[in-house]
Amino acid sequence: MSFASQTAIVGIGATEFSKNSGRTPMQLATEASIAACVDAGISPADIDGIVTFSAEKNTEIEVARNLGVRELTHFSQIPHGGGAACGVIGQAAMALYSGAAKYVLVYRAFNERSWHRFGQGVQDTHQSPEAFDVSFSWTSPFGLLTPAQWVAMFATRYMHEYGATTEDFGRVAVADRKHAATNPAAFFYEKPITLEDHQNSRWISEPLRLLDCCQESDGGQAFILTTMDRAADTAQPAAVIAAAAQGVSADQHVMRSYYRESISGLPEMGVVARQLWDASGLSPADIQTAVIYDHFTPLVLPQLEEFGFCARGEAKDFIAEGNIELGGGLPINTNGGQLGEAYIHGMNGVAEAVRQVRGTSVNPVDNVENVLVTAGSGVPTSGLILSKA
Amino acid sequence: MDSDTDAGKAAFLDDLRSHVGSTGTPRTARDPVNLSTIRNWCDAMGEANPYFTDEQAAAASPHGGLVAPAATLNVWTMAGLHLGGPAPADPNEPRTAVYQKLNAGGFSSVVATNTELHFDRCLRPGDLLSDVTLLDDVSEEKATRLGTGHFVTTKVEFTDQHDEQVGSMLFRILKYTKPAPEPAAEEAPAAEPAPPKSKPRPRFNQDQAWFWEGLRNHELRIQRFTDDGSLVHPPANANPATQHMEYDWVVASGRGTLYSYTVAHHPQVPSFDYPHLVGIVELEEGVRIVSPIVGCTKEQLEIGMPLEVSFVDTHDDVTLHQFQPATPARAEVSLQSGDVGEGDRLPLCALPITPLLIVSTAIATRDFQEVHHDKAEAERRGSKDIFMNILTTNGIVARWIGDWAGNDVVFRNIKIGLGVPNYPGDIMTMSGSVAAVADDGTVTVGFIGRNSLGAHVTGTADVALPGSPAHAAMIEGGAR
Repeated sequence: MSFASQTAIVGIGATEFSKNSGRTPMQLATEASIAACVDAGISPADIDGIVTFSAEKNTEIEVARNLGVRELTHFSQIPHGGGAACGVIGQAAMALYSGAAKYVLVYRAFNERSWHRFGQGVQDTHQSPEAFDVSFSWTSPFGLLTPAQWVAMFATRYMHEYGATTEDFGRVAVADRKHAATNPAAFFYEKPITLEDHQNSRWISEPLRLLDCCQESDGGQAFILTTMDRAADTAQPAAVIAAAAQGVSADQHVMRSYYRESISGLPEMGVVARQLWDASGLSPADIQTAVIYDHFTPLVLPQLEEFGFCARGEAKDFIAEGNIELGGGLPINTNGGQLGEAYIHGMNGVAEAVRQVRGTSVNPVDNVENVLVTAGSGVPTSGLILSKA
Repeated sequence: MDSDTDAGKAAFLDDLRSHVGSTGTPRTARDPVNLSTIRNWCDAMGEANPYFTDEQAAAASPHGGLVAPAATLNVWTMAGLHLGGPAPADPNEPRTAVYQKLNAGGFSSVVATNTELHFDRCLRPGDLLSDVTLLDDVSEEKATRLGTGHFVTTKVEFTDQHDEQVGSMLFRILKYTKPAPEPAAEEAPAAEPAPPKSKPRPRFNQDQAWFWEGLRNHELRIQRFTDDGSLVHPPANANPATQHMEYDWVVASGRGTLYSYTVAHHPQVPSFDYPHLVGIVELEEGVRIVSPIVGCTKEQLEIGMPLEVSFVDTHDDVTLHQFQPATPARAEVSLQSGDVGEGDRLPLCALPITPLLIVSTAIATRDFQEVHHDKAEAERRGSKDIFMNILTTNGIVARWIGDWAGNDVVFRNIKIGLGVPNYPGDIMTMSGSVAAVADDGTVTVGFIGRNSLGAHVTGTADVALPGSPAHAAMIEGGAR
């Protein structure tokens, strides 16, 4: 991967995360983008590339207009919701490395709680005869309608094959909420939970309980990326993009890849993992902390396995040994994750990885050199490794 | 009499109980136990034991000849259908006076709650049965789920043409007062009920129309590419292995196993009942498909459990597939005494409740009460539809246990309590396990049959398996 370590994230900016922002998503996108420029110490007018999600409703041209952008020479979008979270960084890095742009803005902003509740699923939507809408006909008419329900199918099978229990999922929530409890920006600041709390929380879609599911949030998150030579002139220490990759695997569906020989792994995340290790020359032992996509706890386990932090089926033991909490072998989601801080489609996790590299996280991990970030699990996805310069 | 005071209630109960111990006129069956009636009964119940209908198989059986299904004990002396005139009534019927007094006391609704069938020997074609009814008990006033009332218990003894007892039945009904309907809120504007939200419709185009047309025809179709015969689901536009674009389909057998599942609780979409069970079913053809799982509780879901398809109309022009526990195969070799132990589980058996089943089994059990045959009449009597009669519930229980234990099993008793009715369109699923094995080899099976409304039947049955003293005694009792 020729762009490995050739580009960096030099600015991060976010709005507050809430259940009701009281502002429009466009306002959130604009605020977060300006904050990222201020953090980087560049003028918004310097931006000449924008990459965002295809799910993003705030178009790049309106954001560019608000920022006073004069010319855009690169703009692109990555599909499949949270699976894009690291893909947008990778696309920006490739655009920068190719010379298509000099300073790229990446952003995601929404009122996913106060305007449109994402967790309600697809009850009334998807009624065109186009292929994407048709794909929901294999599940929706039968009452399988929401992301939690889609994920539950994988969780049940994983439990069956590896003997995992809902307590093993609960330990992920406990770790996330422990980290969120000391993060003032987190939704669940000063609100840790116990495994008992988790086990007592109500069913959403068995085997998923309420505390296995992230909560929809309002908020915006933005980044400024540039090339390593230009990074030297920006205001913050560079978070070097050691590697970034996307992945789709055979017989891929969106959160409903139920038809593969095995459904207890996440082969598309395996595609990402192989590329990241190959491009960066790093291995699991070189990662000090990670941001593992946690919209629903059960899919954290196979991600740890796909990246080789533990063997297949052994994530439950890896987690039970305390590895994923602060002080453990691989603290994850030190901002509280999407379960504890906010659900901004994985973008707030990328920001936490930048803070860990800079040493500015509220829950700093010692001697951080490399941080792994993963994007949405169960969908066409992506990942990246950020490193110290 | 003031029935609201304790003294009034006591006096009322004393009056009712004055009839306890009285007996009706002995009644003899119009026809002896006969093969034609047995055959109709077996056909309607789905009873497959050849000892009931196949002379050759029966001759080689422990019985040495044809026998009647145990659960037909109380079929033979049923009054029968008398459309041409009033059914013969027994002037000495011991319940009549009690019922009249209960009706006068406001306990005018009636529901059968329990039967306990005891079998002294297996019935054989040619036996001519008589019965006599004894009023056994009237309970004190009880508050029940249905309302306040009194349980009335009768005991019926069945004898053969030699005046020897062949079995008995305890029969309990509840005479009760329906609670008054909730008073309507005063002056509340009559709110238009929201139209029930329909289920999400499948959306398709010409590439998948054949799949949904298949469901309309009650066929579960799987795409088959014509070059290598490979099966693909969900359908694709080209064979993933070869890019060949011509395909047809095969009709799935409808059998499969549960590969994974979820029990959905929230959010709740109005057109589904929650908790809603959805599974990934691995069809025996090799592909997987998402489907609602019906006819079982979430506790009964188990990865690998055998399932079979059925079809349900959800819109005027949409039919969907659903899967339920597969009908267990009948034991080819009879279980022997010693083969079973306490805690052994019987296989789940999901039984679709159809109007045909309710009517044909009512006729086969010679029960011609309108509520089992005539929807309008059932509605007039406060039921939402026709419903399964209690003799059939006994027959279904016996068939299910017989399917598990095999041809040689004999029944000593079947004791059931009835709960919610079996209405058409529902599915009742039997589940149960061996509760005890007695020293003489009597096996007690505890069971429950649930439908979408709750428990239709709970109970126990004592059976005897070959090789046990209990089995030998039952066979000996039936020997000529």
